[in-house]
Amino acid sequence: MKRNSIIVFALMVTAGCSSKSAVTPDDASSGQSSSSSSSSFPRSPSGYGFDEWQTGPLGDVFFDYDSAILSTEAQEQLKQNGGWIESNVSKSALIEGHCDDRGTSEYNLALGDRRAASAKEYLVRFGISASRLETVSFGEERPFVSGQSEEAWAKNRRAHFVVK
Amino acid sequence: MIQFFRGFVPGIFVMLFCLVFSPLYLTAAEGQEYIAIRKEGAGNIALVLDKLDARGRKETRFAQSLDATMHDGLDFTKLFSLISPPLNVKDISDRKNVVINFPALTSVGAEVYAGGVVTMKSDMIILDMKVYEAAGSKLLLNKTYTGTEANLRSVGHAFCADLVELLTGKKSVFGSKIVFVSNKTGFKEIYQCDFDGYGVEQLTNSKSISMNPTLSPDGKNLAYIDFTSGRPTLYIKNLNGGRTAAVGKSAVSIDPGWRNNNELAATLSFDGNQEIYLVNSDGTLSRRVTNSKSIDISPTFSPDGSKMAFVSSRNGLPQIFIQDIASGQVKRLTFSGRYNTQPSWSPAGDKIVYTTWEKGGEINIFTINADGSGLLQLTQRCGENKSPSWSPNGDMIVFTSNRQGREKLYVMNSKGGDERVLLQVDGEQTQPSWSLFR
Repeated sequence: MKRNSIIVFALMVTAGCSSKSAVTPDDASSGQSSSSSSSSFPRSPSGYGFDEWQTGPLGDVFFDYDSAILSTEAQEQLKQNGGWIESNVSKSALIEGHCDDRGTSEYNLALGDRRAASAKEYLVRFGISASRLETVSFGEERPFVSGQSEEAWAKNRRAHFVVK
Repeated sequence: MIQFFRGFVPGIFVMLFCLVFSPLYLTAAEGQEYIAIRKEGAGNIALVLDKLDARGRKETRFAQSLDATMHDGLDFTKLFSLISPPLNVKDISDRKNVVINFPALTSVGAEVYAGGVVTMKSDMIILDMKVYEAAGSKLLLNKTYTGTEANLRSVGHAFCADLVELLTGKKSVFGSKIVFVSNKTGFKEIYQCDFDGYGVEQLTNSKSISMNPTLSPDGKNLAYIDFTSGRPTLYIKNLNGGRTAAVGKSAVSIDPGWRNNNELAATLSFDGNQEIYLVNSDGTLSRRVTNSKSIDISPTFSPDGSKMAFVSSRNGLPQIFIQDIASGQVKRLTFSGRYNTQPSWSPAGDKIVYTTWEKGGEINIFTINADGSGLLQLTQRCGENKSPSWSPNGDMIVFTSNRQGREKLYVMNSKGGDERVLLQVDGEQTQPSWSLFR
């Protein structure tokens, strides 16, 4: 069991490394082609909201078990996302709510909906027009990481941002 | 305590089944009423299901097939102890006048004897069945079943259905269907099979995510959730080749449950919160039922449609509540367990089955009376057991379990006994829902 989780973790790390190195040149080229977007973010954002599944300009936010409440880090990330959305007026965002696969799938579909909705609500209060923010829930149907460990579950409890 | 079993002895009664597309039709039999007396809790009915008599090669082949169908069907119900017929069970020296050896039957402990003859008339297979009470040698049922080779299984099950109704006074599982989700193609699609797992058929091919199928009480419509549009949307599919209605509100739809043939309920979140709405079977909205700032999901109705059990997190953790539809009054049903979801109201109306996610990580199935009394645990120490759904007579429950690794469909009786795998097919099978019709 322990060995399995170490292997899973090792795979995650290597997957992260390989995808990052693959993505960086793309980011650089897209940065050149869309030089009009005056983003203040580094080309390969890293930190709280960014990992191998989130390499775009908007970071993801993470949630506690059975919760749609925004932590301090989540609110910080949403402020950054709000800044980018505000300054990229031609863009809109799809916010996907996701859950870990514990519990039951119907409840998780509702919980994912609430996670997406609370991220949206924060951005609307920040000043973003609700019409530029779409939400959807995938519940436990599209996990980012498979496996039964605290790390995997924590990675899967998120509101995932997709630029439209 | 004495329990009365009601049955009927029909007279000479020939029924022609047009089985090609029509469902099995069970006629209320005519004739004198029979009441058997059994001690309550006497257990299974001791039955001798005799080998069918047949002359001719074709007839013998069909008889053997019917023997197996009827034996397996009756065994599936777990209502019977099937006793092998004693060697001298009947004297067939005079084929026109078969004499059954009732003392031999009672000596092996048989309570009921069933036997019959298979004959053919052009391409039609004719099954003449007789059922006797072993002690007292009383004729309980004398009925003819007719069908073609293609629906031989239905012919055998028509007799099984009559036998169960005759001896228990209750409707049987024969003829009912189970809809479920399977990911064997790589996508979650909706499938259906017969009550015993036979005849698996794929119903959706959306190559997306399809979830939470449930058949209307008359079996004409299938409601389910599907992500084809990019978001979980409620669809109502007419299974007789008619149209599929999408509930056309944006946001998220979750877990439908039928109230009657024309109306169902589901959670829709278009107003920003997960609320349960009544929806007409054509997909139009009827009205909103719940009103809380929390999650409200998984509606399931009492048989008369007057009350709805559902899951709500209005007190924090998910628990099951019952709402009176007319008055709107809500009462909390479950107080044991911190995460209670997936309620299903029994066809008799007395019980609600649901699942509890327990501290150790197990998910277990419980039943509770609709008044909150009589909590009973049905599964334990076998992983995650989810999505319980009642058989049409309430005798059995279909559910999923990962006890052997991947999630598969299982059935058990309403007390948690006789647990077994329903279906061994590739992939994972989840979210079974048993039809109300038979």
